[in-house]
Amino acid sequence: MKNIVIGQYVPGDGFLYRLDPRTKLIAVIILMVAVFLLETIIELVVAFGLVILLLIAGKISIVRVAKGLKPLFVLLLFTFFFQILFNKEGTLLVEEILSLNPANLGLGLLLTVLWRLLARFGKFKTILLFLWIAGIYCLLRYVAIAPQWTTFSLQIHEKGIEMSVFVVIRLLIIISLSTIMTLTTKPTDLTQGLEKLMRPLKVIGIKSDDFALIISISLRYIPTILDEANKIMAAQASRGADFSEGGLKEKIKQVISLLVPMFIIAFKRSEELADAMESRNFVPGKKRTRIHELSFGWKDAVTSVVILLCLAASITLKVIG
Amino acid sequence: MGIRFREVSYHYPQNHLQFHQAIEKISFQVSAKGEFIALVGHTGSGKSTLAQHMNALIFPTEGSVEIFGHSVTRKRNRKIRYNDLRKHVGLVFQFPEYQLFEETVEKDIIFGPLNYKVPLDEAKTIALKTLAQVGLDESYLNRNPFNLSGGEKKRVSIAGILALDPDILVLDEPTSGLDPEGKRVLMDLFQSIQFETDKTIVIITHDMDLVYQYTSRVLVMNQGKLVFDGTPEKLFRTAPLTEYQLSMPETIKVLQAINERLGLSIDIYQKTAEAAIQAIKEAVRQ
Ligand SMILES: Nc1ncnc2c1ncn2[C@@H]1O[C@H](COP(=O)(O)OP(=O)(O)OP(=O)(O)O)[C@@H](O)[C@H]1O
Ligand SMILES: [Mg+2]
Repeated sequence: MKNIVIGQYVPGDGFLYRLDPRTKLIAVIILMVAVFLLETIIELVVAFGLVILLLIAGKISIVRVAKGLKPLFVLLLFTFFFQILFNKEGTLLVEEILSLNPANLGLGLLLTVLWRLLARFGKFKTILLFLWIAGIYCLLRYVAIAPQWTTFSLQIHEKGIEMSVFVVIRLLIIISLSTIMTLTTKPTDLTQGLEKLMRPLKVIGIKSDDFALIISISLRYIPTILDEANKIMAAQASRGADFSEGGLKEKIKQVISLLVPMFIIAFKRSEELADAMESRNFVPGKKRTRIHELSFGWKDAVTSVVILLCLAASITLKVIG
Repeated sequence: MGIRFREVSYHYPQNHLQFHQAIEKISFQVSAKGEFIALVGHTGSGKSTLAQHMNALIFPTEGSVEIFGHSVTRKRNRKIRYNDLRKHVGLVFQFPEYQLFEETVEKDIIFGPLNYKVPLDEAKTIALKTLAQVGLDESYLNRNPFNLSGGEKKRVSIAGILALDPDILVLDEPTSGLDPEGKRVLMDLFQSIQFETDKTIVIITHDMDLVYQYTSRVLVMNQGKLVFDGTPEKLFRTAPLTEYQLSMPETIKVLQAINERLGLSIDIYQKTAEAAIQAIKEAVRQ
């Protein structure tokens, strides 16, 4: 449980690290809008190239960003296939008759079981997934033994391929942009930036500083709470309640015996924290100064100009195209 | 039987890249019967880390710990029932808050026995008995352990482990935060447990007087390494204490000072304050 990292901030010294978090927040939003305005694959590829350039200029390892993309891999894959299969515009490129019958259903199930078993070993997961998809396809396509239940045709259209590439690249760009932001901005800076940006919302009764305080305290206390959980588990283990031994019923019982003390401790901690804050003169709602004031420097100015140029470019493309 | 450390090292993970080496290549043996061991060392020298290895709460990064015939290594071994190992070796944590988690003191003490399938009414009898052993009366049974004072929590957490009746009892700073009288009562309790049942007791402490007075063997940790293993006599008479960042027991310090001031030659190696007073009286008489 120790290994959970909150936020993905990785210390570094590229120029992205020195930007004001507000600049980064707004830049990401504007760039996303700009990307959504783009309409052709070529424009998107150029935009993607620019993102890669940004990574290089900001001295951020591409491998790390790729790792950040990993959890979203399934989403990307799903989007890709969804577009290919269900977009019926443009000229027809491929048409295959697929059939479903008892034989290939049975084989398909077998294949699935096999796939899940192999996936348990944890290696080559992606390759296995592709093999499984290919296998299912072959079964549906070539195993056509009576009695047929249904047949259906698989059609791939030109527009479908185009759109699937288009949507996937767009998603990649957007995810990379937000990953860049979280990689280079400390969670505390991010909340401070949010607080400053949300300040105008005070007019409609949203207190941005309370909000920021809540977020930063939560971020600060997640590791502590996990730590407590570890300690309670150790205490229980040392008295014969090891969480990794025993059956399911025992495990459930043990989880309950973890939750009660966790709540007690969380409440106790929050009381202590409140006392500690009050004893250091924290008054809710009062204006506070900061150790590190956010400052908007020339780097931020340059960045803003570049970002606005990007937006202008994509608006122009939209209007012309 | 007992516990045997073989070249044990442990690193705490700090983040993706760095590790913190808490103990380094530790080897020694603790027999299952009749030892009264003190584990001492400066703050951060790795005592608590070492203690947690003794009942397999953490697994060595390198080397192995043999606990009652089972070898505990880096990887969890499915053949070993770690719960059973912990029945043999009871560990009282340094900070009692971490050990107490039930709503009442009674529930907390019977948590262990119930896990080892002791019938409920028997467990309750045990709870009453161990609570008395650590010097608390039955009015504490229904109190919330989180609302006790530091010293009371300490006692309850010790009772929780005593209730398991382990063969080896490991106590991480059991006397810290107690008043002098409370310290003596607890140490006398451990001594009498050791006398009556011949269990091995390991205590971690910073109090050299207790070490000298009660224990029969001392392990000294210094910056993650085991630098001394021997009797307290040998430690205080011959070992380089300042190098280990330790100090002499108060009785020895006082007698040393008296000898220097008055040019006397009292035997400074007296274990208890009473013995020291006796020695001084004798010297005065002469
Ligand atoms: N959970 C942890 N994560 C990372 N490092 C730790 C952790 N616990 C302890 N350490 C580090 O390991 C080293 C040894 O710690 P340990 O608690 O074993 O010391 P100790 O001898 O018990 O000290 P004390 O006398 O203060 O209780 C210390 O430098 C400490 O900073
Ligand atoms: Mg310690």
